[in-house]
Amino acid sequence: MSGDHHNTGDSGPAARVKALEAVLTEKGLLDPAAIDAIVDTYETRVGPRNGARVVAKAWTDPAYRKRLLADATSAVAELGFAGPEGGHLVAVENTDRVHNLVVCTLCSCYPWPVLGLPPVWYKSFAYRSRAVSDPRGVLEDFGLELPRDVEVRVWDSSAEIRYLVIPQRPKGTAKMSEGELAAIVTRDSMVGVAKVEASRA
Amino acid sequence: MSNAALNELIEAARLDADHVFSAPWEARAFAIALQLSQAGHFTWDEFRDCLIAEVRASDRIRARDGTSNHGQYYDHFLHALENLLEEKGLAH
Repeated sequence: MSGDHHNTGDSGPAARVKALEAVLTEKGLLDPAAIDAIVDTYETRVGPRNGARVVAKAWTDPAYRKRLLADATSAVAELGFAGPEGGHLVAVENTDRVHNLVVCTLCSCYPWPVLGLPPVWYKSFAYRSRAVSDPRGVLEDFGLELPRDVEVRVWDSSAEIRYLVIPQRPKGTAKMSEGELAAIVTRDSMVGVAKVEASRA
Repeated sequence: MSNAALNELIEAARLDADHVFSAPWEARAFAIALQLSQAGHFTWDEFRDCLIAEVRASDRIRARDGTSNHGQYYDHFLHALENLLEEKGLAH
């Protein structure tokens, strides 16, 4: 790609991706328009707003909450959320006694249809290596100190199972609509590194 | 890994919370891998195994040197994709 006369395969990542795309398109294996569509989907359409709608519905509709806890894959599909990496989704609920935290210790498994692609910290060595051995320490780094009597459950994602945390509905939100509630649910709360604050509304 | 390193990471993530990819090539590498797997040239599980191998090799270095691999995820991702395409004979 550059004017380099030697091609060692050590050129920068942008050039390597461009070269790959060119070869694969030439061979008819790739459709560049579909590449653009995938990029657009994951940059703008699929993201934590989806998961926030799921959580808000679970907070306001007890029958939906029950379905979500029983079979999250089907329950999120009711709202139109499905697709790659959504095959076997499990919803875990935070309560006064239990706090759930999600990690993928091996790489970056994450429930794409409801949360989009994972943030930088989720994929970092720092997070992956400590979430299991020192979950309370990790939560404190995120500014979340839990009472000692709250049990912390850590869920290690795998090729087979993805997790969505249903955070606790904050106090003082009884009069809020489902849409208003969805607006205060954050990505971090659905991974389990934060609580939902009523004040965001 | 020190708390300071993780705190740095969290702060960095908050600053660019709205950006899924930090450079256009990361987005295209991701989309290439996804499209090829959806077209059946390999399964996403096969790709994940390659990615896990890259991440594991990097983790060993981080554990030894105490350094952070913040920001290197898509480098691992691209290496994994190149390795898999090579293995499948799709890249030439």
